[in-house]
Amino acid sequence: MSSALGNFPIGADYAALLPAFVVACTPLVILFVDLFLRGSSMARRAIAITFAIVGLLAAGAVEASAYPHDYAAFGGAFVQGGFSTVFSEIVIVATIATLLLSVGIGRTDQVAGTTSLVLWSASGAMLMSGAANLMAVFLGLELLSLGLYCLCAISSRITARESALKYLILSSMASGFLLYGSALLFGASGSVAFSALATAPVTPLFALGAGLFFVGIAFKLSLVPFHAWTPDVYEGAPLPVTAFMSVVTKAGTLAVFARFAYAALPPDRASAILLPIWVLAAASMLVGNLAALAQTDMKRLLAYSGIAQVGYIVASFAGQSVLGLRYAILYLAGYTFMNLGVFAVVALMSRDGDAVVGLGRFAGLAYRRPWLAAAMTLFLIGLAGLPPTIGFTGKVLILAATTGAGYAWLAAVLIVGTAISAYVYFKIVRAMFVRVDPAHVRDERSTNPLPWIAVGVCAAATFVLGIVPLAPSNVLPLVK
Amino acid sequence: MTVTALVLGPIVVGLLLYALPRTATTAARTVAAVVAALTFIAPLVDPNAPDAAARWLSRPFTATFHLGFGPLSYWLVLLLALITFSAALTLKGDRAREIAAQLLVLQGAMNGVFLAKDLLLFALFWDLMLIPVFLVLITTSTHGRPAWKYLIYNLVGGLALLLATAAYGVLAGTTDVIGNPTAHFSVVSAWGLWIFAGIAFAFLVKTPVFPFHTWMPETYAELPPPMVAVVSAVQSKAGLYGFMAITLPLLPVQMGQAKTLMFALGLAGLIYGALAALAERDAKKVVAYSSLSHLGLILLAVFSGSALAYIGALVYMVAHGLFSAALFLALGAVEQREETRDLARLGGLASRNPRLAGALMLGALAALGLPGLAGFAGEILILTGLFKAGWTLAAVIALVPVVLASAYMLRLYQGIMNGPDVPDLPERRDMTWLEGLALAPLVAAFVWLGINPGALTAAADLGARTTPPAAITSSAAPEAPRVVSSR
Repeated sequence: MSSALGNFPIGADYAALLPAFVVACTPLVILFVDLFLRGSSMARRAIAITFAIVGLLAAGAVEASAYPHDYAAFGGAFVQGGFSTVFSEIVIVATIATLLLSVGIGRTDQVAGTTSLVLWSASGAMLMSGAANLMAVFLGLELLSLGLYCLCAISSRITARESALKYLILSSMASGFLLYGSALLFGASGSVAFSALATAPVTPLFALGAGLFFVGIAFKLSLVPFHAWTPDVYEGAPLPVTAFMSVVTKAGTLAVFARFAYAALPPDRASAILLPIWVLAAASMLVGNLAALAQTDMKRLLAYSGIAQVGYIVASFAGQSVLGLRYAILYLAGYTFMNLGVFAVVALMSRDGDAVVGLGRFAGLAYRRPWLAAAMTLFLIGLAGLPPTIGFTGKVLILAATTGAGYAWLAAVLIVGTAISAYVYFKIVRAMFVRVDPAHVRDERSTNPLPWIAVGVCAAATFVLGIVPLAPSNVLPLVK
Repeated sequence: MTVTALVLGPIVVGLLLYALPRTATTAARTVAAVVAALTFIAPLVDPNAPDAAARWLSRPFTATFHLGFGPLSYWLVLLLALITFSAALTLKGDRAREIAAQLLVLQGAMNGVFLAKDLLLFALFWDLMLIPVFLVLITTSTHGRPAWKYLIYNLVGGLALLLATAAYGVLAGTTDVIGNPTAHFSVVSAWGLWIFAGIAFAFLVKTPVFPFHTWMPETYAELPPPMVAVVSAVQSKAGLYGFMAITLPLLPVQMGQAKTLMFALGLAGLIYGALAALAERDAKKVVAYSSLSHLGLILLAVFSGSALAYIGALVYMVAHGLFSAALFLALGAVEQREETRDLARLGGLASRNPRLAGALMLGALAALGLPGLAGFAGEILILTGLFKAGWTLAAVIALVPVVLASAYMLRLYQGIMNGPDVPDLPERRDMTWLEGLALAPLVAAFVWLGINPGALTAAADLGARTTPPAAITSSAAPEAPRVVSSR
C-alpha cells in the first residue's frame, strides 16, 4: 500500500524487492573482485561462482522470510508474499543448479561476466514472479531475456550463434506482441494494474489486447504453435544455459500467466477469454510428446519434453481453481527438480560439461556408471509420470484439479500425452540398460564434479515430494 | 508393521542387492529366497496384523498410505511369496543378481497392490509394478518389441486407472475406500460409467482379457523363467483381484451394467486362448495362451453374480497361480537344457530326464483340470456356480475350452517329453535338487488345495465378508446414492 506521501514509495516497498536487489547487485561484487584476478586460474572461476551462490542463498533466505506476508509494494505493482516467494525460490534453486553445472564452461576471463548475466536474468524472473501490473511484467521479462540473448552465444559452437540470433529475433517479436497487447489493455481499461483490468468492461479492444498478451506469453512458454524456436535455441545454447532457460524462463512466465489469468480478467468472462489457452495447452501436450519421439539429441528431446510438461502445468490452471494453482506450483517445483536432474546427468557425461549428447551415448550406461544411470532412471520415471516420484503425485493432483474444475477433456488429453511420453523417456531408460560393447560407446566424464550435488539434491527432492506433496497453501490474493 | 514390511521389505532388499558384485549369483539367489520365505511366514504368523495408515493428501480428496490384509489379498500375498520363493531358487546365470533384485521389487510392488486399502495407493503400486518387469524385459529380450508392447499397453491401462481414481476421489472426497464397508459412496451419474470404464480397462489389460492380450504371449516368451512365473501366476491376478475387491463393492451398479460385455470378452478369450494354445509351437506361448483361456473363465465367475462361482474364482486364481508357475519353471528348465522351446524341435526327453518329465506332467495335469488337483476344484466351483446362477449357455460354451485344455496340455507334454529321441538335441543332466526344491512347494500346494479347497474359504471367513455378489444380481440402486452433478 502507499504511504502517507501518496504513491511515493517507502522503505517497505524497497524491502519487498530486496531479494531481487540482492541477486541483481551480487554481480557488481563479482565483477569488481574479478578485476583484481589475473590469468586463467581455477580460483577465478571458483570465486565468481562462490560469490554468486552465496548471494543467491542470501536472497533465498530473505525471500523465504517473506512467505507468510502479503505486501503490495509500489502501489500494487509488485506483490510480495506466498505466491511470488514460491516462484522466486524455484528461480533461485534453478539458478544455483545452473551455476553448479556451468563451472567448467567458457573461457576463464568470461566467467565473471557470464555469471553476472545469469544472476541478472534470474533477478528478472524474480521480478516477474511478483509483478502485478503490465509495466512490471515487461520490465522483468526484458531483464530476463536480455541476459539470455548473450548467454546463448557464449559457446564456441557454430550453432550457438544461430541459437542466440534466433532467440533474439523471435523473443523480441514475442515481447513486441506482449507490449502491444499491454498497450491495448491499457487503452481499454485506462490502467496498467491487474486489479483494474479485472473490473474493466470487456470490449473488443480489451479482448484483442488480452489475446496479443497471451500470444507473447505463449511464445515465452513455448506453447504449441509458438514453440518452433525452442528446440533450435536449446540445441545451440551451452548446456547450463539451456537448463536455466528450461526452468527459469518458464517459471517466470508461468507466474505472470497465473497472476493474469486468476486476477486480471473479469471473473464472468475469464473462462471464455482463457479457453484458447487451454486448447494451446492440450496441443502442447500432444505435439510436444509426439515430436519428442523422433529426437536423437538430448537437448532437442528435452526441449520438446519441456513443451509438453508446460502443457501439463498450464492445464492445471484451467477453471482458475485455487487448488489448480497450488498443484501447478507443486508440479512446477517437481518439474524443476526432475528436469534439472536430467540436465545435471547430461553435464556429467561430457568432459567440459557442454557437449552434444546424442541418445546413443546412453547405451549401456547402467553398467558403466550405475549411480548416474539410477538417478537418470528416477528422473525419467518422474517425467513420464510414474511412481514413486513427484511426477506421479503431481500429475494425479493436476488430473483431480482439472476434472474437479469441469475440464475433464483436458485431463483426458493429459493422459494421452503422458502415454505418448512414456516411449520418449523409456527409450533412454532402455538404452541405459542394454548391454553394449564398451568400445563402441564414447564414455566421457565431466572434469567438474559439482553437478553431482545437483543430481543428489534433485533425486532426493523428486522422491520426497512424491511422498510428501507440499503444495503451498498461501497463494492468494494475487493482487491488492 | 507386518503389512508395511511386506511391501517395503522386498523393495528395499531388492535395491540393496545391487550392492552385491555382479557375479554373486548364489548370494543373490539366497537373499531373494530368504526374503520370499520371510514374507510367506509373516502373514501365517500374524494373520490379524493391524492396518498401517498414514495421511498422504488432504486435498482435493483425502488419500492415505493405508495397507492391510483383506480376505482376498491375504491369500494372494501368500501365493506371491510362495511363487517368488520358488522363482528365486531357480535363478542362475550371469543376470541372476539383476533378476533377483527386480523380482523382489516386483514382489514388494505387487504386495502393495494387494494390500492397498486406498485407491490412489493402489494406483501407485499398479504403476510401480510396471517398472521391474520392463527393466528385465529390455535386458533379456533380443529386440525391444515385447518390452515396448508390455510398457505401452499396461501404462495406458495404468493411466486410465489413474484418471478414474482422480475423478473418483474428486467426487467421493476420499480414496481410502478399499475393503471399507462404511464407504458407501456410489457414483450413479454418467461419471460412474466413465470411472468404471477407466478402472476396468486397466484391469482387462493387466489380466489380460481378449482383445487386450496381444502383449502377453511375447512378454511371457521373452521374460526369464523366474520372472515369467511371477508375472503369469500373480501379476495376472491383480486385475481380477481389482474387479473383486474394488469395483464390485464400489461400483456395483456399473459392474451389473457391464456384465454382458464382460461375459462376451471372457468367453471369447476362453475359446480363442484354447484354440491358439492348440496351434502354438512355442512351448511358453502354449502356456501363455492357456492362461488367457483360464483367466477368461475366472472373469466369467467374477461377473456371474453367483456366490459359489465367486468362491470358485478365488480358488481358481490361487490354483492357476500355482500350476502356471510350476509349468513356466519346468519349461524354463527344459529350455535351459535344450536351448529351444520349439515343440517341433523337442521330443523324447522323458527317457533322459525322468524327474523333469514328472514335474512337467504334474503341472500339465493340474492345468487340464484333473480331479484331485487344484485346477479341478476351481473349475467345478465356477461351472456349478454359473449353472446355478442361470448362465446355462455360458457354462456350456465354457465347458468346451475346459475340455480342450486336456488336448493342448497333453500336446505340450508329449511334444517335449514323448516321441522318438531327437539326436541333435544337447544331452544334459536331469533336474537338480535345487530345481526340485523350487517346484516341490508349488506341487505340494496344488495337491493340498485340490484335496481341500475349502481351506481357502473357511480360514479367512471369506463367506461372511465377501458377499457383494448379491449387489450385482439385483440392479437396485444402493442406499442413499449421492447424485453427482457435473460442473
